[in-house]
Amino acid sequence: MAETTTSALSPEIQAAVNADTKTQLDDGVEKRVPLLLGDPSFNDVTEIVCRPVEWTVPRAWYIFFGCAAMLLGVLVLSTAYLFWEGTGIWGLNNPVSWGWAIVNFVFWVGIGHAGTLISAILFLLRQKWRTSINRFAEAMTIFAVMCALLFPTIHVGRVWLLYYVFPLPNQMAMWPNFRSPLLWDVFAVTIYGTVSIVFWYTGLIPDLATLRDRAKTRVRRIVYGIFSLGWRGSARHWQHYEKAYGMLAGLATPLVLSVHSVVSFDFAVAQLPGWHTTIFPPYFVAGAIYSGFGMVITLMVIARKLFGLERIVTLRHFDNMAKITLLTGSIVGYAYSMEFFIAWYSGNPYETFTFINRAFGPYAWAYWIMVTCNVIVPQIFWFKKARTHMGVLFVVSILVNVGMWFERFVIVASSLSRDFLPSSWDYFSPTIWDIAAFVGSFGLFFFMFSLFVRFLPMVSMAEVKTVLPKADPHHGHHDDDHGDDHHGDDHDHGDDDAKEEEE
Amino acid sequence: MSHSPKKITAQDIELPQNSLWRKLPLIGVALAVIGLGASAGIAWKGGKLHPQFYFSYLVAYAYWLSLALGGLFFVIVQFAARAGWSVVVRRIAEHAMLALPAFAVLFIPIALGLHDLYHWSHAEAVAKDLVLQDKAAYLNTTGFYTRAGAYFILWFVLAWYFWKKSTAQDESKEAAATKRMQIVAGPSIVIFALTLTFAAFDWIMSLDPHWYSTIFGPYYFAGTTLAIFSFISLMGVLLQRSGVLKDVITSEHYHDLGKLIFAFTVFWAYIAFSQYMLIWYGNIPEETVWFKHRGGAWLGMSIFQGVGHFAVPFFFMINRTIKRFKPTLIIGALMVLTVHYFDMYWLIMPTYHHHGPHFTIVDLTTFVGVGGVFLAVFGYGLARHKLIPAGDPRLKESLAFKNI
Repeated sequence: MAETTTSALSPEIQAAVNADTKTQLDDGVEKRVPLLLGDPSFNDVTEIVCRPVEWTVPRAWYIFFGCAAMLLGVLVLSTAYLFWEGTGIWGLNNPVSWGWAIVNFVFWVGIGHAGTLISAILFLLRQKWRTSINRFAEAMTIFAVMCALLFPTIHVGRVWLLYYVFPLPNQMAMWPNFRSPLLWDVFAVTIYGTVSIVFWYTGLIPDLATLRDRAKTRVRRIVYGIFSLGWRGSARHWQHYEKAYGMLAGLATPLVLSVHSVVSFDFAVAQLPGWHTTIFPPYFVAGAIYSGFGMVITLMVIARKLFGLERIVTLRHFDNMAKITLLTGSIVGYAYSMEFFIAWYSGNPYETFTFINRAFGPYAWAYWIMVTCNVIVPQIFWFKKARTHMGVLFVVSILVNVGMWFERFVIVASSLSRDFLPSSWDYFSPTIWDIAAFVGSFGLFFFMFSLFVRFLPMVSMAEVKTVLPKADPHHGHHDDDHGDDHHGDDHDHGDDDAKEEEE
Repeated sequence: MSHSPKKITAQDIELPQNSLWRKLPLIGVALAVIGLGASAGIAWKGGKLHPQFYFSYLVAYAYWLSLALGGLFFVIVQFAARAGWSVVVRRIAEHAMLALPAFAVLFIPIALGLHDLYHWSHAEAVAKDLVLQDKAAYLNTTGFYTRAGAYFILWFVLAWYFWKKSTAQDESKEAAATKRMQIVAGPSIVIFALTLTFAAFDWIMSLDPHWYSTIFGPYYFAGTTLAIFSFISLMGVLLQRSGVLKDVITSEHYHDLGKLIFAFTVFWAYIAFSQYMLIWYGNIPEETVWFKHRGGAWLGMSIFQGVGHFAVPFFFMINRTIKRFKPTLIIGALMVLTVHYFDMYWLIMPTYHHHGPHFTIVDLTTFVGVGGVFLAVFGYGLARHKLIPAGDPRLKESLAFKNI
C-alpha cells in the first residue's frame, strides 16, 4: 500500500481522464460506459480516496480552512452582538418583520436536499453513478442543516428561551401552537437532521474501518477504530449493513419531499398574496433540489481537481448532475409561470397586484436576478458542451445559488413590504449585521466542510467498488484484483446473484 | 453474459394469428359504437342531448385521456433517462400513447356540449359576473378551441414521432434511432408538462370558473402516471396469460412497475393533500368553495379519495411479494385504475350534481364508448407490431434485468 502510487497517473489512465467528452459519455447506446475512468482496481479506489485523508496536508487546505475559520469568527461576533442587543440590529421593519433570517434558513435547508436526493432517492432508483458523489453530498446536507438551524435559533431574540419551541411539559402548562407551521418546521428539520446524520454515518462505517486498518499512527487507529464500531467486513456485517442502508433510504425518501414542503407551509398557509398558493410545496421541493445540486457542483468542481478525484468523479457525473439541475430549474420556472398565470387567471386584484409588483415594483431588481439565475441560466445545460465544461459548470452552479437565495428574498420581502394596508408599506434594507450573519454562515459551512475533507473519506469507497465492472461476480471469471484488498473492500453484494445463477 | 437471458423467438413477441387480442380493434370499435350510441340514445331528450351526457362523457374522456397521456409520459421519460429495465414493457405504453390523436376526434362532443359544461361560455352569464369578465381574456370560446387545437397537434406530433420511430426500429435495429429519441425526449417533457397543465385547466378546472389552484396541473399529472403504470402492469399480465411474452416480462419488471405505482400513489396523495391542506388552512372563501361543493352528500366520496386512492393502495403495494406476484399485482393495478375513475368523477361531477353523487347508466355507457376507441387504437398497435421493441439496443439489458 504505497501511498505514492496514485499521485502520478500512468499514461493510459491520464489519457482516459483527459479523453474528450465524446469518448467519456458517448456510449453508443448499445453498452454502458464504465462509471470510473481508467479501469481502476479495488485498491486504486482505496488509494485515491484515502490519499487526502492520509497525505501531508497541503498549504491550500490551510488557507481555505483559515478563511473559513475567519468567516466563522464573523458569525460568532455578529451573533454575540445580536444576543447582546436584540434583533433590532437587523434591518427588520414593521411590515417586513421576517427578514434575512428566514431567507437564510430556507436557503440553507434547501441546499441540503440534493444530498438526500442523491443518497436516498437515487439509491432507490438504482442510479449507480450516485456512489461517487453521495458521501460528499450527504456531508453537505448535514452542514447545510446546521447552518439552517442556526437562523431560527438566533432570530427568536431571547435565545435563552429557545426551548419553548419544543413541546416540553412544564408547570405553566404552556405549549407551542401545534397548528403553527413554525412548530412543524421544528419537527421536520430536526427529524431531517437526525436521519441525515444516521444515514451518513451508517454509510461511513465500512470506510472508517478501511481507514482504521490503514492507520499508521496510534491516535488514528483508536479514533477510526472507535467510530468503525468493530466492523470486520464479514458477510453477516454486510448483510445487516445493506438491509439497514436500504431501509434508511426508504425512510429518507419522504423526507426529501416533506421537509421543504413543511418549510413552504410557513408561507403558504398564510393569506398573503404571493405566499398563499397551492403549488408551493412541490415548487419548494424542486427549488431545494435545484439549489442543492448547484452547491454540489460548485464544491465538486474544486474538490475533484484539488484531491485528484478525476477517475472517480467523471464527466458522466457532471453531465448527470447538470441534467438534474436543468430539470429542477425548469420545474421552478414552471412554478413561477403557474403563479403568474393563476394570478392573472384568478381575476383577483390582490394576486395580480402582488405579481406585477414583484416584476416591476421596488424589488424588481431582485425578481429579475431570480428569474435570470433560476430559469434562464440553467437552460444552457441543454447543451452537452456546457454540462461537461468545468468553467461553465462552476459559474452556473454559483448563479443557481445566487438565484435561489434571491427567490426566497423576493417571496419574503416583496409580499410583506406591500401588504393589504398601503399606509404601512415600507422597504426592507439589510444592515451590516444581516450581511455578517449570512456571510458568517458560509464560514460555518466551509469550516465544517474543510474538516470533513481532511478527516473523512469524501467518496464512499465501499459503494464505489460495488459499481466497478470487477464487482460483478460474473465479470471475466478472474479474481486477481482481490490481492491486496483491505477489510472494507469485501464485496458480498453479488451473493444473492450467485445463488440465482443457473450456470 | 451474466444472467444468460433467454433467446427470444418470434412466438414470444408476436400475437398468434388466432389470438383474441387480434380482434381487440374490432371489439373496441364495437364497444365504441355501442357505448356512444347507447349514451346518445339514452340522453336524447327533447331534440337535444341531456347535460348529463356531456358531464358523463367528460369524466370518461378525462379518464381515458389520462392513460394516453400517461403512455406518452412513460415513453419520453424512458428515453430521457436512457432507461434499460423498461424496454420490454415500453411497447404497451407506446400503443397507449398512440390513442392521443383519437382524442382529437373524441373531443367533438365536448366542443358541442360547451354550453352545457362550461358556465363561462354563456355571454349573458359573463355579462352579470365581474369576475368572469376579468377572466374573459382567457376563458372564451375562441381561446378554448384554439388551445385545444394546439394541444392535439402537439400531442399528435409527439405520439406519432415516438411511435413511428420505435416501431420502425423493430426491423431496422438502428441504435441511431434510440439516440435520436433520447435527444427529442428532453424538449418533449417541456411540451408535455405545459400542454397537460393547460388542458387540465381548460377542461376540468374551468368547470368551476371562479376557482383556481396553481397545483391543478400536477394533480391531473399524478393521476395519469398512476393510470399508466397500472395499465402497463395489467396488460403485461394479460398478454402473458395468452401465452406470449413468456420470460420476457419477468417478476423483476413487475416489481419495478409495482414500485412506481406505490411511489406515485404517495405522490398523488402528496399533491392532493397539499392542495386540500393549504386551501383549508387559508380558509379564503373563493378557494374553499370548491371543497364546499365536495362536502355534504359528496363528503363520502371525498373521504374515499383519502382511503381508496391513498391508504389502501399504499398499504397494499408496500409489500414486496405483492408487487412481484402477478395475481396480487393486478389486484393493485385494478384497484388504482378503479379509484382513478372516481377521482375524475369527483373532480368533474360536483359541478353538475351539486347535491351528491348520482350515478346513471350514461356514466357507464360513455365510459365504455370512449374506452372502446382507446382500446381499438391500442389493439391496432398490438396486432400490427411486435409486442416489445425488438430492435432496441437495450433490449438485452432489459431481458437480463434484476432488482438487486
